[in-house]
Amino acid sequence: MATITANPPRIGLPALLKNRAVHKLLLLAAAAAILVPLADARWASGTWPSALTLDFSEPLAKASDWIIDNRDSHPLFLYFFGHVSNVVVIAVRAVYLTLLAIGWAGVTALGALVAWRVAGVRLALGTAVAFLACGLLGMWVPTMQTLALMVVAVLASVVVGALLGLASGLSDRMDRVLRPVLDTMQVLPAFAYLLPVVLVFGIGVPAAVLATVVYAAPPMARLTALGLRGADKEVLEAVESLGSTARQRLLTARIPLARKELLLGVNQTIMMALSMAVIAAVIGAGGLGDRVYQALASVDVGAALAAGIPIVLLAVVLDRVTGAAGERLGAEPEPRSGLGWLLALAGVVAVAVAGRLAGRLDWPEAWIVNIAEPVNRAVDWMTAHLYSGVPVIGGTADWAGHFTTWVLDPVRDGLQGLPWWSLLLIVAALAWVIGTWRTALTAVLAMAAIGVLGVWKPSLDTLSQVLAAVAVTLVVGFAVGIAAARSDRLERMLRPVLDVFQTMPQFVYLIPVVALFGVGRAPAVAAAIVYALPAVVRITTQGLRQVDPAALEAAGSLGATSWQQLKQVQLPLARPALLLAVNQGLVLVLAVVVIGGLVGGGALGYDVVFGLAQGDLATGLVAGVAIVCLGLMLDRVTQPTERRAKKGA
Amino acid sequence: MRVRKTALVAALSSLALLTGCGAADMTKQASPFANAQGAKTVTLSVQSWVGAQANVAVAQYLLEHELGYRVDTVQVDEVPAWDALSQGRVDAILEDWGHPEQEKRYVDDKKTIARGGELGVTGHIGWFVPTYLAKKYPDITNWKNLNKYSHLFRTPESGNKGQLMDGSPSYVTNDKALVKNLKLDYQVVFAGSEAAQITQIKQFAKEKKPFLTYWYAPQWLFEKVPMTEVKLPPYKEGCDAVPEKVACAYPHTPLEKYLNSGFAKNGGKAAAFLKKFQWTTEDQNEVSLMIAEQKMSPEDAAKKWVDSHKSTWKKWLS
Amino acid sequence: MDTTPVFSVEGLWKVFGPKAERVPADPELTALDPAELRARTGCTAAVRDVSFDVRKGEVFVVMGLSGSGKSTLVRCLTRLIEPTAGTIAIDGEDVRAMDRSRLRELRRHRAAMVFQHFGLLPHRTVLDNVAYGLEIQGMGKAERRERAAAVVAKVGLEGMEQRRPGQLSGGQRQRVGLARALAVDPEVLLFDEPFSALDPMIRRDMQEEVVRLHQEEGRTMVFITHDLQEALKLGDRIALMRDGRVVQLGTPEEIVGSPADDYVREFVRDVPREQVMTVRTAMRRPVGHQDGSGPAVRPEATVSEAIEAVARAGAPARVMDKGRCVGVIDSDTLLGVVAGTEQPAPPGTGQPKEAV
Repeated sequence: MATITANPPRIGLPALLKNRAVHKLLLLAAAAAILVPLADARWASGTWPSALTLDFSEPLAKASDWIIDNRDSHPLFLYFFGHVSNVVVIAVRAVYLTLLAIGWAGVTALGALVAWRVAGVRLALGTAVAFLACGLLGMWVPTMQTLALMVVAVLASVVVGALLGLASGLSDRMDRVLRPVLDTMQVLPAFAYLLPVVLVFGIGVPAAVLATVVYAAPPMARLTALGLRGADKEVLEAVESLGSTARQRLLTARIPLARKELLLGVNQTIMMALSMAVIAAVIGAGGLGDRVYQALASVDVGAALAAGIPIVLLAVVLDRVTGAAGERLGAEPEPRSGLGWLLALAGVVAVAVAGRLAGRLDWPEAWIVNIAEPVNRAVDWMTAHLYSGVPVIGGTADWAGHFTTWVLDPVRDGLQGLPWWSLLLIVAALAWVIGTWRTALTAVLAMAAIGVLGVWKPSLDTLSQVLAAVAVTLVVGFAVGIAAARSDRLERMLRPVLDVFQTMPQFVYLIPVVALFGVGRAPAVAAAIVYALPAVVRITTQGLRQVDPAALEAAGSLGATSWQQLKQVQLPLARPALLLAVNQGLVLVLAVVVIGGLVGGGALGYDVVFGLAQGDLATGLVAGVAIVCLGLMLDRVTQPTERRAKKGA
Repeated sequence: MRVRKTALVAALSSLALLTGCGAADMTKQASPFANAQGAKTVTLSVQSWVGAQANVAVAQYLLEHELGYRVDTVQVDEVPAWDALSQGRVDAILEDWGHPEQEKRYVDDKKTIARGGELGVTGHIGWFVPTYLAKKYPDITNWKNLNKYSHLFRTPESGNKGQLMDGSPSYVTNDKALVKNLKLDYQVVFAGSEAAQITQIKQFAKEKKPFLTYWYAPQWLFEKVPMTEVKLPPYKEGCDAVPEKVACAYPHTPLEKYLNSGFAKNGGKAAAFLKKFQWTTEDQNEVSLMIAEQKMSPEDAAKKWVDSHKSTWKKWLS
Repeated sequence: MDTTPVFSVEGLWKVFGPKAERVPADPELTALDPAELRARTGCTAAVRDVSFDVRKGEVFVVMGLSGSGKSTLVRCLTRLIEPTAGTIAIDGEDVRAMDRSRLRELRRHRAAMVFQHFGLLPHRTVLDNVAYGLEIQGMGKAERRERAAAVVAKVGLEGMEQRRPGQLSGGQRQRVGLARALAVDPEVLLFDEPFSALDPMIRRDMQEEVVRLHQEEGRTMVFITHDLQEALKLGDRIALMRDGRVVQLGTPEEIVGSPADDYVREFVRDVPREQVMTVRTAMRRPVGHQDGSGPAVRPEATVSEAIEAVARAGAPARVMDKGRCVGVIDSDTLLGVVAGTEQPAPPGTGQPKEAV
């Protein structure tokens, strides 16, 4: 199939596509020809007609007031949410106290030995180093707080996700109900989950844990369902042919067969929980995220980094250890694995007891290394020298200015200048040509919902920033991705950098971004690019590398130059991956719109921040929902044929 | 082995709760990180600005070193902090800039929050230009002349209008209404966070560029970037009653402390100490500057201040 | 000899598609060919009106090309696929009438299956895979492991008990699959194209393994294959399927020697007939004067064996059954068989076998 002389399909496919696309467009044009004059006659206005908006601020404000007034008296809160919240508090507290009781040496030993048992010596060392680094940076207690919150949140997410996944994996009806919900949840920005839980639970750890669970459970559910559904049919048949009951089938075959996916689900859940645990600092999660957030307030990049590094280290260690555990599955079982665990446990107990006897449970203050100062000096130096007055190319401030004037402004004004119905048409056309009528319908409805919510203008402002950011991200991401796919050394060098940028809390780079680009939409775009770039580079590199080597070999044997190979073989064959990169780029850029609100991005991001800050749920929720709608719309418009199970964490 | 026992009790009680007996009032649940390792813990709310951090740093230092408490700090925005305070997830707010609506709800109606007295610092919000600019154009400090100079304040964000930079969305601001009602040729640009705003101000100041910003005192940044207030139409009682129609300056607000009522009653020495905690604008700025400009850790800054102002804080402990 | 067939299948239908049950019931629909049926109803009939008996102790082969419905048929026997119409009986008991627990009993103890792609549990060791069926039955750990170990040894996998399926070759994996089926000591073994995923050499080994097992234990086997050689080698009787129907059912000799229609004839065209046809089919009736001379051959001997005997003696051979001469066979008849010019009498009409 995948031969090199791709000429016939290359002529055939676009022609076919064009035909189908033309067909769809004609249909759409016909529908538009009827509907547009009607709509235009009824509500003639460039922006979304006010007659078609609904004002939610009053009911939302009332609901919020009602909840605050009744939180300590209404049975719903006393007998349900109260217990939920209580269980969370007690669970987190239990884990936290246990961690503190084991002491820093014990926790380090525990981490290292668990890593040793499931992932080998190298990762065990890495884990120990990571924990010690947390202590050295003076972040031991916040790290333990985050860890305690994570443990509870991850356990809850895994249980909830696995149950949902089981339901959806075993029942087709549940699957039909759950799948679109889970799919949609995948594309929602983390901030969108904060407001509703705050509304119910108020600021604090319970809200943070629940938001984290809501955010981190979907990948577990998706992957569980995927694993259950993807099980080798013949194995299941064989198991059935031996006369197993449904229960036996589930426990001895279906679940063990899905163990790779289950472990990947746990891995994904951990990564997402970690990123959420940091973001949830905004609603009082405490821990490392809170330290980053506090450092931000005093414009102290160094301190923010000191709290950010443990997060990155935790993320990398957890990712590698769970990943390695997944790869080890199915390998030769170690003959005395029970004994190994026993040894490991004994080691932890010994270290913990030793630490306790030595009275060294808290990280010794003398061992804290202060990195904040040198980091701040470096950042100051960088911003001082790059901000303006660089000969010939101008400073970063000038670039930001030009970018705002020449890119952001025209795009925003263009979008806001278009009549509302024409935007709906464009969305419909794009989504339909790329996807199906279903995706087109969802996209149009999402876009219309934005109008109905009454945030048409700010949403288009946000959209313009997202589009600009995605354009830059894709250009840079594809370039770097292609380069990395062609050079193993570059890829090896990039890997840790990408890891760091993917896991570093976005709060950390807000200040450098402002220092370089000033306040406004340009730094918001810059922050979004920094956040989305790693995923785009990764997907591009992977996509290009997964191109059938036989095809490349054949092209090489025909004497194609490496540029020809890239252009005529790799890029066309990697098309699904590239589409996925576009999709992920959009989703990720949108995820940091709220962060953009913190550096002057304005529009929807600012409204969400405003809503959180002022407890103004009407503004915040409406803006949050609008971001969700934008996300849905953009996702559907660019929906690639196959969706990656992973979501860039 | 007190910790083990606590954990055991926690596990058992969670089990009891899971079986669904009795009511659980989440507004009475403390932070899970509180009172760890058997220490008495006080949880303080830190707002995002450095002045508030200075209050908390000093209070924390004294609570830990003089009274033997363990202090947790949580950074929450102002309005949500009231809610957290009411729920007892935070024990005290040391600096509040006036939230009449919340005050009425929590202090007067629900009585879950108690007044903790004045901080001793008076806060003021206003519009500021850098002093180097005010020296160059002396009449710029009157709002009536702002339109004349609007071209100085143009940025890519504000387009062909002047830029008035606002800060964190959690701050009280009437600026949009002011610009409109005073018919100023300005565009309000929200920096979105104080960090972003300060960073931008410092960048402008470094290049001696003109800028007009919403700002407030006391604030350490004045020491670093001297700024002069632009006079707005004078504040009169009630002139800011209707948000859309505001056309006057911001008031001077004595900053207040608030305590969770339960904590105020049963908080022992800590509650008594926090009620007495009172210092001056200069004191606060001194600590703020150490934190923000000299990049000292809040703890070191607090220690330095405490070491040199014994007479001030001794009164709080008596 | 017990005459009750192990499996007795009567008028079996399996139709996939919407409202499948109406198809077997409607004579108008049953008359349609597959393409028409799909066009008319959207249904596909994988098994169409199939009837056969599997006798105790025989190897019954169902042979056909892919898509002929043979795999569906074998799954219907234990209702891994629910039949649409018809009756299935195992030892006279109606399978289709069984309730869940009875059906589980059937699957646990009476019929075990070996699958094309082995269907092994990748997370278990060889031993635990083999013991799986016993585990399902609720047997204790020690006992089932002991029994599994014995079966593992029987299929020649000693020393590999602790390996995982991923560490075995294809042939070894299928031995595990075979051992797993044998471990539950079933009355019938069902094989679903068990060796088609294996290399030719390994396949021959495995076929010999099956022959050996059958000779040792005499267990009834139903064997699905698309490989004619395999069918001829293993089968006591062969049902040849096409488009869901059995087009011919008979011994290998009957299939090769007297194909029921052109399809079967085409199918068996390249078979070396001398290795399948027996002397009994090829011989002529004895004529008096030849009684005392020439080499003796058994009636079950293949034609190629007879050729060897005749060629060595240079004279026609006598076919001796229990000391009695039942026929003669000379080089002309033998050549006729090899060349395929001599058509034995059609089945049922005066076949020598029946004549005896």
